[in-house]
Amino acid sequence: MSAILTLAVREVRGMFHSPLAWTLLAVLFSICAYMFNASLLNYQIQMMEYQAYGMRGALPLTERTIAPMLGNAAVLLLLIMPLLSMRLIAEEKRQGTWPALASSPLSPMVIVMGKYLGLLFFIAIAIGVLAIIPLTLYPYGNPDTGQFLAGLVGLFLTAASFGAVGLAASSATENPNVAAVASFGVLLLLWIVSWMGNASGGALDKTLAYFSLMTHYQNFLTGLISSADLVYFVLLSAAGVLFARHRLLAERIQG
Amino acid sequence: MTETMIHLSGVTRMFGTVKALDNIELQVHRGEVMGFLGPNGAGKTTTMRILAGLLAPTEGSVAVAGVDVLEDPVEARARIGFLPENPPIYGEMTVEEYLTYLASLRRVPKGQLAGAVDRAMERCGLTAVANRLLRNLSKGYRQRAGIAQAIVHAPDVVILDEPTVGLDPIQIREIRELIRELGGEHSVLLSTHILPEVRMTCGRVAVIHQGRIVADDALENLESRVHGSSAHFVRFGSLPDADALRRMAGVAGVTPREDGWLITSVAAADPVPELLRLSVAQGWNLRELTPAGGNLEDIFLQLTTREEKENVQ
Repeated sequence: MSAILTLAVREVRGMFHSPLAWTLLAVLFSICAYMFNASLLNYQIQMMEYQAYGMRGALPLTERTIAPMLGNAAVLLLLIMPLLSMRLIAEEKRQGTWPALASSPLSPMVIVMGKYLGLLFFIAIAIGVLAIIPLTLYPYGNPDTGQFLAGLVGLFLTAASFGAVGLAASSATENPNVAAVASFGVLLLLWIVSWMGNASGGALDKTLAYFSLMTHYQNFLTGLISSADLVYFVLLSAAGVLFARHRLLAERIQG
Repeated sequence: MTETMIHLSGVTRMFGTVKALDNIELQVHRGEVMGFLGPNGAGKTTTMRILAGLLAPTEGSVAVAGVDVLEDPVEARARIGFLPENPPIYGEMTVEEYLTYLASLRRVPKGQLAGAVDRAMERCGLTAVANRLLRNLSKGYRQRAGIAQAIVHAPDVVILDEPTVGLDPIQIREIRELIRELGGEHSVLLSTHILPEVRMTCGRVAVIHQGRIVADDALENLESRVHGSSAHFVRFGSLPDADALRRMAGVAGVTPREDGWLITSVAAADPVPELLRLSVAQGWNLRELTPAGGNLEDIFLQLTTREEKENVQ
């Protein structure tokens, strides 16, 4: 356990020692802030129109501002996570540091878990930074805190699944660029896989919708945390981690 | 009998249909420094990677300090330190951070981390650069950091793949000194191309060729097997002709080499006293007299051709 933690801490420190992590955080934060501002202005206009028609009450604030921002943040992370996760194992092999790890008394599972935990730390930091943006609403309005928090949990799980797929890709190649492209491809497919379902209808529709990352994430954005969605994300993450472990074991045999 | 720290038995390794290692038998005892010679592509690195746990053998068994590498890979790896061909350096870490990180992954208890790291840095001459980023260090210092990480956790077995490549002559001398010193408490398997390095550091030598061990013996025995005798390189200021050397008692052959002569002597004969006497008496002006044990290629070529002859028979 302590070895996993040692690996994870080094991983996060390594990320922040390179400009990549800082750049990704800056881009993520700036674009989300911009989108949030845009949806806030839209909300203001819609509210004015709404009241001009003599309607009373208010439009749902959280659903029209926070939820779209978190939804877009997931799409941004879909682009960003492959760039972070590609380094996890492939970079060590490319730089020649891999033998130092592989000849240490660590099982492949420990190495993979350490790397993954490090990535989860980074995701938690990134989401913590993003969460600051909607907090600015609190002095002026009354956002739905439950829905907000559910959205953050959903975003964390989504990003964690992105990371697990990236980890799997990173374990399968010595070239980080190949890992990034491969994981981006898989993630984008998982994101849009339900699109075909809409056209076909029936059982296929349901199956494809189940595999779609987007479908499960959207439930969180409406404030719904269901065990079915939790299981989906946990399974996807576990699959990525186990694939990476399997690759490392197979590598010893295949060379 | 001393304890066997490295034991490879019937180790074969296939890469697809290519047989990289063929039935390797190798034993290294406690406190021994063993030289591991062979041309590129002979299987040195593959053997070392198998010992380090990076590769699994296709057949055969491997034990490190009595622990079977296949049955208990993690425990076996706890007993080795490995320096691969290219030192595994994290550029964004300082030397001290780097060694602390790897030592803690290799089960050095928290309370002893600082002490173990200090000792490794001291032994490898890294104390002065402890707080420098590895990225900014010269190749020689990176190589030393690579050796330091292989010994920081005081493993029973140290595996060094060409540790002096890229070092300057002073560093090479220091590193050889260190390797010889390591032999006291660790068992060392040292791969190299450089014969003087083997002579300075190793007690025993194994030669690998085309995935097979073709010789495994003490260095002196190996050299005498090749030459059947000892050899000396001599250079004179004014030697009238080489026949004067050939006529000396105990001389088997004289061949010109560079600006001097290589004298090989018949078994058990020592032509040196006679050579010195003649040189003074005849005024040949002796400039240089060095024992020459043939270079690695000589030894190697002889060993492999002998092997082929045996195969033909």
